[in-house]
Amino acid sequence: MLKGTIFGGTVAIGLPMLDAMLPRRSAAQTGTAPKRIVFWFTANGTRQDVWSPPANMDLSGHALHASLAPFSQKLIFLDGVDQSIAYDSIGDGHQTGMACLLTNAEILPGDLFCEGSCDAGNEQYVGWGGGQSVDQYLAAEIEKDVITKFKSLELGVQVRSASVWSRMSYADADKPVPPREDPNQNFTDFFSDLDSDPFALQLIQRRRKSVLDAVMEDHAAFQQGLGYEDKQKLDKHLQSIRDLETRLAVSTNFGEACATPELELPGGGYEQNDMYPITGKAQMDMLVMALACDLTRVASLQWSRSVSNVRFNWVTQRLDEGHHGLSHYDDNNADSQADLLEINKWYSEQFAYLLGLMDGIQEGENTLLDNTVVVWVNELGKGNTHTRRDIPFMLAGSCGGYFQTGQHLDLGGEPHGKLLVSLTHALDKPVSTFGAPQYSQGPLSGLT
Amino acid sequence: MPPQWIKTIGLAAALVSSACTGAIGRGDDARPDGGGDTVNDTIAKGLCVVDTPIRRLTRFEYNNTVRDLLGDTTNPADVLPPEEEVAGFNNQAAALTSSDLLIEQYMKVAEDVSERAVQNLTGLLPCDPALDGEDACALSFIESFGRRAYRRVLSQSEIARFKSLFDWALQDADLGRFKDGIQLVIEAALQSPKFLYRAELGEETPIEGDIVPFTSWEMATKLSYMLWNSMPDDELFAAAEADALRTKDQIKAQAVRMIEDDKARDVIRNFHTQWLMLTHLDSVTKDTGVYPTFRGSLRPLWKEEIQAFIEHVIMEGDGSLQTLLTADYSFMNEELAAFYGDDVLDSVTGSEFRQVQLDPARRAGLLSTAGLMATHANLNQSSPVFRGKFVREQLMCDTLPLPPNDLVIEPPELDPNKTTKEQFEEIGANPSCSGCHALMNPIGFIFEHYDGVGLWRDQQNGKDIDATGEVVQTEDIDGTYDGAVELAHALAESTQVRECVSSQWFRFAYNRTVTTEDSCSLEQLNQVFADSGFDIKTLLVELTQTNAFLYRRAVDLDSGGAQ
Repeated sequence: MLKGTIFGGTVAIGLPMLDAMLPRRSAAQTGTAPKRIVFWFTANGTRQDVWSPPANMDLSGHALHASLAPFSQKLIFLDGVDQSIAYDSIGDGHQTGMACLLTNAEILPGDLFCEGSCDAGNEQYVGWGGGQSVDQYLAAEIEKDVITKFKSLELGVQVRSASVWSRMSYADADKPVPPREDPNQNFTDFFSDLDSDPFALQLIQRRRKSVLDAVMEDHAAFQQGLGYEDKQKLDKHLQSIRDLETRLAVSTNFGEACATPELELPGGGYEQNDMYPITGKAQMDMLVMALACDLTRVASLQWSRSVSNVRFNWVTQRLDEGHHGLSHYDDNNADSQADLLEINKWYSEQFAYLLGLMDGIQEGENTLLDNTVVVWVNELGKGNTHTRRDIPFMLAGSCGGYFQTGQHLDLGGEPHGKLLVSLTHALDKPVSTFGAPQYSQGPLSGLT
Repeated sequence: MPPQWIKTIGLAAALVSSACTGAIGRGDDARPDGGGDTVNDTIAKGLCVVDTPIRRLTRFEYNNTVRDLLGDTTNPADVLPPEEEVAGFNNQAAALTSSDLLIEQYMKVAEDVSERAVQNLTGLLPCDPALDGEDACALSFIESFGRRAYRRVLSQSEIARFKSLFDWALQDADLGRFKDGIQLVIEAALQSPKFLYRAELGEETPIEGDIVPFTSWEMATKLSYMLWNSMPDDELFAAAEADALRTKDQIKAQAVRMIEDDKARDVIRNFHTQWLMLTHLDSVTKDTGVYPTFRGSLRPLWKEEIQAFIEHVIMEGDGSLQTLLTADYSFMNEELAAFYGDDVLDSVTGSEFRQVQLDPARRAGLLSTAGLMATHANLNQSSPVFRGKFVREQLMCDTLPLPPNDLVIEPPELDPNKTTKEQFEEIGANPSCSGCHALMNPIGFIFEHYDGVGLWRDQQNGKDIDATGEVVQTEDIDGTYDGAVELAHALAESTQVRECVSSQWFRFAYNRTVTTEDSCSLEQLNQVFADSGFDIKTLLVELTQTNAFLYRRAVDLDSGGAQ
């Protein structure tokens, strides 16, 4: 991808000069571009048999990742990293794969979600995920240093439902974080300020503050009359209002550092199956611009959900079935294997598109990609066995030089909690363990 | 040796078969412990009373509420994150969480709604600021609007807070207009938890132990959100103001009135959309090589047939569950009737849906609609498994396990020499599958006259359809049935099905799962439902007459937090 041609042909982005992309706030604070982290989720496992790169990291002929060839020196492929915690947790394969993925915590007991773990006569229901996810941990820690317009940005592409199968981010145990799924709405939410003149913007901020103050004041007496659990529920609601109010005062450095992206929006049909690629592309375009504008330092892009049944009508398929259905055939079924290859190859191409955008934005000596680590995660290793071992984790970007990229590591069954620990180190918010301590004793070796 | 489409890993197979051999699980709540006492007004009210948690409005309820509050028909809440869905419904108090995103979107929705609301200020205000004075008119608006938004009379301090927000707007250099002040009041009210959550805390004084009744204002809200999924209307507010929602008779009279309102139709549709999982219809696709008559434009027609039929039976027809399950008529337009072909005995023209007579030998009620048959089918063939599972879980409130995680399953390839039934019988015979599939597949076989798009067939692959199947492990309809019409009539007479339906309504209406403490309320519902000849409207009215609805346990201010 050519540097400077941000967002390809569909976007005209009014940047006076590329080094102006360096966010002013962080430049003033540290003199260097900030580190960012992005989680990228795809579902139902992958083709584990062909997933790994060759020894020389030349991806040009790779069955799945040929489109990632230009970035091979900025990638780390991780083999042999297991979601060990998922095997201790209650819940079915997809539930644990999803809820443990970024939390390294067991699913909470509860009476909310049944199905896969629901044995007749011995119904087993589960609750939400049991711990804070690493993205939310990092967002909370980073917020202590700097308040960005968004504490974190969770974007989704046709995630649709709200359940333990569809949430990977948790503000805390039992507190799932929903992704933003409507690109049209996101466009307004992220970038509308850019078009407002400073006075209009000040007025909006002033108004909102007055209104939210009134809401908060109105609230105290109400809460007095509630029982403990209701109070907890409202506490969380009010904390969100408080956070929102704090963020109102944050103005992005419009005009100089970033501008409204012009991009193709899917309109009202963003939830239709065949709009999946367009919706995803719009979300990627906006995600990258949001990072470039320093609207947030922590983001995720979740393609569908665990048990995703998106129908990939835009790739060549032999079987006319949804993704989850296809992922359940036996390994010997040539048709389904071919289809799964095409699907996961398509996801790799999307990943390459994202990396291309990020690598095209110069921030001083480095690119936005260099200052970020993009973490490709999946709730499973492979669909038909629901294995949560050897999850196809891939890292892209060195996070400001922290990671030693351009390598393939086989860690031989290390628990994925250690990867989460590594990520906290990369973002300079190190912890010694994350989630279940027995599965997160320090960072993974060999990454740095 | 297992057939090649199934591969077991570890103990998976053993787990499955053992999981389905004992008693089948009932839905979490279909069968609470039977409490023996009949409910009447003289028995201890402590029976069947539980806590009532606060609950935030669903998107559907928010949309309806701003429609009734401000005349805003834009469905503004559609942009909010989807509700957490549990136990089949999206309105379950315990599951609805909040998030930063939700709160941010509430703000933006409130801004949009309030901006639209003040575009017609005259219609909005109970007064004229020019004649009555801006301050007086603002106060008058705050009082009347606030009462409708919060669904109760505002306190003086609440009024004062809104007024000071109004004043702030008027003093702001860039705002300053009367209209701006009104807009901000609306904007703040719509973001207040008092608007967004229903908190029915009950009276302060218990009638017995820690059992409290609700205030008339709370009862108005409970009634309107249960029967209309929206805020109270003027009549309910008037009754609340007169404190005339105290007795069971007063409450019943309102319920009887409300159930005839068009807003109740929306609720009936909402319930059935969720109970019958009709949203799945939106994404049904078929292999057009096998089903050349399938096209995407059928989806909304299939759905409307089901909804129009249900609505008619409940609102205009005899209202009974039997009719829902066995009627020999339905609702169609020309395109849909043409799709059904010979099964429709009347000729239909135009795009309007109208009542049509069906061939009673082929069709009976809800279950044989093309929409449900097509949803619970595979791309290129019917699915006895899905159909059996649907009947078992949605109509009989059984809980069936999914295959264990480590089981690799493929549906059988199409075999041109066999019927679907023959193929699935082979799968079902496998001992590792039969434990659970014996509960589903034979019920599905009974629907085999309907192909993967729900069209009638007498033959498949040159062989006669055999639509017999043996229903086992039910409470009262075990036996062999030939065809869906026969089964539908059996289901319609089944106590298990009737009680399942009332428990589904219970969950939907009360926004929570059934607990063992609800046994006497459920028993009362089932009794009245039976006495009415299983009339759905009577069931809905009776839902306002149970102790579970009429009382709650007093808020325990000391629990949890004080520990």
